[in-house]
Amino acid sequence: MRWLALVLLAAPAAAQEFAPVHEVLSHPRCANCHVETDVPLWRTGVPHGLGVVAGESRMGIETLPCGTCHRAENGGFPHAAPGVEGWALAPPEMAWAARTPREICEQLKDPERNGGRTMAEVADHVSHDPLVVWGWAPGLGRDPAPGSPEEAARAILAWDAAGAPCP
Amino acid sequence: MRMTINGAEVELDVEPDMPLLWALRDELGLTGTKYGCGIAQCGACTVHLDGLAVRSCQVRASEAEGAEVTTIEGLPRDHPVVDAWIEEQVAQCGYCQSGQIMQAASLLAGNPAPSDAEIDAVMGGNLCRCATYPRIRAAIRRAAQETA
Repeated sequence: MRWLALVLLAAPAAAQEFAPVHEVLSHPRCANCHVETDVPLWRTGVPHGLGVVAGESRMGIETLPCGTCHRAENGGFPHAAPGVEGWALAPPEMAWAARTPREICEQLKDPERNGGRTMAEVADHVSHDPLVVWGWAPGLGRDPAPGSPEEAARAILAWDAAGAPCP
Repeated sequence: MRMTINGAEVELDVEPDMPLLWALRDELGLTGTKYGCGIAQCGACTVHLDGLAVRSCQVRASEAEGAEVTTIEGLPRDHPVVDAWIEEQVAQCGYCQSGQIMQAASLLAGNPAPSDAEIDAVMGGNLCRCATYPRIRAAIRRAAQETA
């Protein structure tokens, strides 16, 4: 019985460790571009219009790259195209839109699906990659990802320090 | 800031964050490039920046510093796309057509023999309120054949 109590107690604790990380990763500013398909999302469940596709490069097809509209900075008007250096979809193996917290947690630890990164490198990616950091400064009319890049990085490192438990 | 526009070196004295579209139209009088939506949703303002199609309403003037910009005025009069547009009588009201032509020219520069699906994929961001899409596609096919 004692082991059962430990399991029951551990499960919510694991969920709590990962919760702040999941809150960021599942936010539309992150999840809308971490998709398995060739088309990003404008909003949760709403594919990008205008027939755009990411192509093999994930930066748009050669004759219609994302940079046709998404430039180095956010457009200065409401509803204008957002922009930052290196606009692209995440690689398909890093897709997590619509996945469960547990699925996202497991794949985040998997070097095959996290770009071959250690957790420290994942935290660095979150807090320094311009395209990821854009999620906290997405321009007029868009909700930023929760907290800050630094807080998200600290949450990842804290979760890792706790053994990277998955809910 | 300096840039090359339609082959001529130009010095522009504008705010760095001015959209390139405004610089072209209001500062340089190149009004062939049209203002449609201002938010990269229609393609009417498409020009070439270093050879690639971009929505000039989203490009800040500072981003074009040192670059080569081509507008509809700078596209050669005998460009295959222009010829095909006339042959197919594509334009109806014509407002979107300079953007359509610049996007089509960029498409054919990168893919000289696009399939219909590839044409649709690339031209999907250029809207035409008169719905001339079948003629746009026909003109691109004609231009591709003529340059094959």
